[in-house]
Amino acid sequence: MPTEMRESEQQPAEPLDQLLEYGRGNGYQLDWLRKRETWGNELHPDMEHGGLRLQDAEVGPFGEVPDVSDNETGRPRGALRREDAPRVGSYRVKSKSEIWMRNAAALYEEALTRQWSSATDVPWETLKPLPDDIERAECELATFLSDVEFVAGDVPGRWISDTSPDFFEPRMFLVSQIMDEARHLDVFRKRALANGGGLMQQSRAFAGGFGSSIDNARDFTEMSVRLHISGEGLILSVFRMGERMAYNDAEKEIYRLCGSDESRHVAFGVMHLRYLAEAEPERKEEIHCLLDEVEAGLAIGEGTSSQNLLTRVGSTGSSLAVLLGAGNIEEGEKLAQAMRQRQIKEYIQRVKVSGFGERFENGRSGPVLMKYVAG
Amino acid sequence: MVLTRDTTPRESRPALPDDFAQRFGAQFAELSAESGDPREFSLQWGTRAKPGNPQAGLTIDDINVGLYGHIPDRAESRNRIPRGAIALKGVTDVGGYSVCDAHRLWSDQAGQLYEEAIQSRWQTATDLPWDTGHGVPEDVELAVCQVATELCQQSQTEIEAISKWFRELNPIYHEVKLHLACNVFDAARMFDGYYKRAMLNGGGMLLESTGYLNRIIQECYSGWTETSTLLHLVRGSFTHTILRYLTTYGPTQLDRELAGRCLADKTRHIAYAMDHLRFSFSKAPERAGAYAISLVAAEAQVARDEADHVLWEALAVIFGGGVRGMDEGMEIVKRLRRDWVNDYLDRMAWAGVMRRAGVHPALRQWIEEPDTEAVGS
Repeated sequence: MPTEMRESEQQPAEPLDQLLEYGRGNGYQLDWLRKRETWGNELHPDMEHGGLRLQDAEVGPFGEVPDVSDNETGRPRGALRREDAPRVGSYRVKSKSEIWMRNAAALYEEALTRQWSSATDVPWETLKPLPDDIERAECELATFLSDVEFVAGDVPGRWISDTSPDFFEPRMFLVSQIMDEARHLDVFRKRALANGGGLMQQSRAFAGGFGSSIDNARDFTEMSVRLHISGEGLILSVFRMGERMAYNDAEKEIYRLCGSDESRHVAFGVMHLRYLAEAEPERKEEIHCLLDEVEAGLAIGEGTSSQNLLTRVGSTGSSLAVLLGAGNIEEGEKLAQAMRQRQIKEYIQRVKVSGFGERFENGRSGPVLMKYVAG
Repeated sequence: MVLTRDTTPRESRPALPDDFAQRFGAQFAELSAESGDPREFSLQWGTRAKPGNPQAGLTIDDINVGLYGHIPDRAESRNRIPRGAIALKGVTDVGGYSVCDAHRLWSDQAGQLYEEAIQSRWQTATDLPWDTGHGVPEDVELAVCQVATELCQQSQTEIEAISKWFRELNPIYHEVKLHLACNVFDAARMFDGYYKRAMLNGGGMLLESTGYLNRIIQECYSGWTETSTLLHLVRGSFTHTILRYLTTYGPTQLDRELAGRCLADKTRHIAYAMDHLRFSFSKAPERAGAYAISLVAAEAQVARDEADHVLWEALAVIFGGGVRGMDEGMEIVKRLRRDWVNDYLDRMAWAGVMRRAGVHPALRQWIEEPDTEAVGS
């Protein structure tokens, strides 16, 4: 049963007016001591079923999210204003549609529930020496992922501080993502250094460039499409195949735990894009153009600069083939091909759920992508 | 080669081999994918980090073995190369990562604080006794809501101030970034906890903060060290003291537990800042004097917040058990203010900044009060 709201049955011991009069008579101002619109509504959470969740507490004016925020002082949503409070925020994201989605509070709560420790929740003792080529491939992958997790942790940070606190639910979710990515960076670094290989060469995929990247996005939705829908979505597909790449229980658990976190991040991106498509349909064409770029950038293994770790050329693609084929590259390449196909299918599904599925029916999506799926 | 955990203090570790820079930057980047020996693709093949303490598992400090544990004084790259990975030749900067000197962010405690935060993980939804938070007298409940509003706004300031620095802190010092990820997550949880507490009986959010210290924390672009000092030592000491008093005088079990949980988190944040500041001054001692001068301006803003009656009155209602007990409550508030100023000055002195003699008069008045019993110190 979710949190129940009840009217307070308690009778005040002494009327507030009387207490205010007494306090003011003793030299106190007590101008802050007042009842809000929600006074008397008690929350009674069911502790066996999720406890008191953020979404349960969003009632009355505190649950009303403005379409455009005029909050410049950083006050919590619904708090009473002081006329003399200084402006502190310089918030760039002031429109709800720019960052909002319907279940951010629930995703934030889920992130809290599913916190884990890379130190103690991974059975490190199950790591056993591996053949050199397999160990190298595992470490190549771990190095790539250590690198990529910095992107996914550092970039959202900027958007948190740029977003009005009236939209605290997506901000809180992005904070939980920073926490998740820190743990991912940590666990992949640990994997690289725990079984004889060490860190390998840094990835070319995240080198600087001339824009059109997660780092350089000037709009939150653009960043989210590049990061959540594309980047993290592609990695999620790989984590879901972790069972095929893992050589021990420690690696299986790492992929499983990271995959669970990653699926929340992807869900955030999908739900935000869906909200935007509904709230501002006039932006759909702009988003389609963005997806054109994303799909061209997927490159589906056509270049070493692809941010997809399943790129056919380059060290991470080769490493995955080694891992999937247990050293037999040809066999591994076939499995990697199947994995790429699955990645693209899952990407298409995400875009459809986000409300942009027409691009796969009207020929807008590139022929390379569609051919890949058909193949 | 199997390496064990390097527990030697960083300062007394032997110098790296002469060819370290060459190995790090050039030689290995020349290897082609066709090279036959997989071991050539790692700078330290054979690394097998083990847990230093089986109970604690494999910690982030445990994997600081050999060159992977070498913390450079300055990061040479402004991209995301993991520390100890082989650099690709010609990789460009990715933007940001401007904080490249160890003395501008490092703390030897960061890794341990990160692991502690993970081990102490909790959630407000299910780990707090919400059912004990009802039945509070109206005036006390409203005072709790006012204090909750203040703490929520402090948390939001903390979230914003730290978040914007992530892209500036060089990934070579990943332990610090991991700790700060926990810090910002803790701040979100403190917001979440006090927001729910304010809503529990319908009181809601009351009057926003005066906001002067919030403003200078947000406006601090001079460096991460400066931001951390304002956020963790100036503001953090204040928040820490309020939480400490609420663990004793909170009107319900819920209030005492919530404050206690947040207090433990806040203690870690302060520990990082103290250790970082001390490290920073050990590398750049001339900064300590400049700091003492800069803090005069910060304390002046604190004094403006301090002069406002709202938070003090709300705390006095809580501590005194209601409006009728405010005089007694205000005596406890005076002790709180004295403890806060003393804690702040002691922490700064530990780190190397002597502020006691020159502290702003509005703060000095509290440490010149006659000595009374402190709470929970």
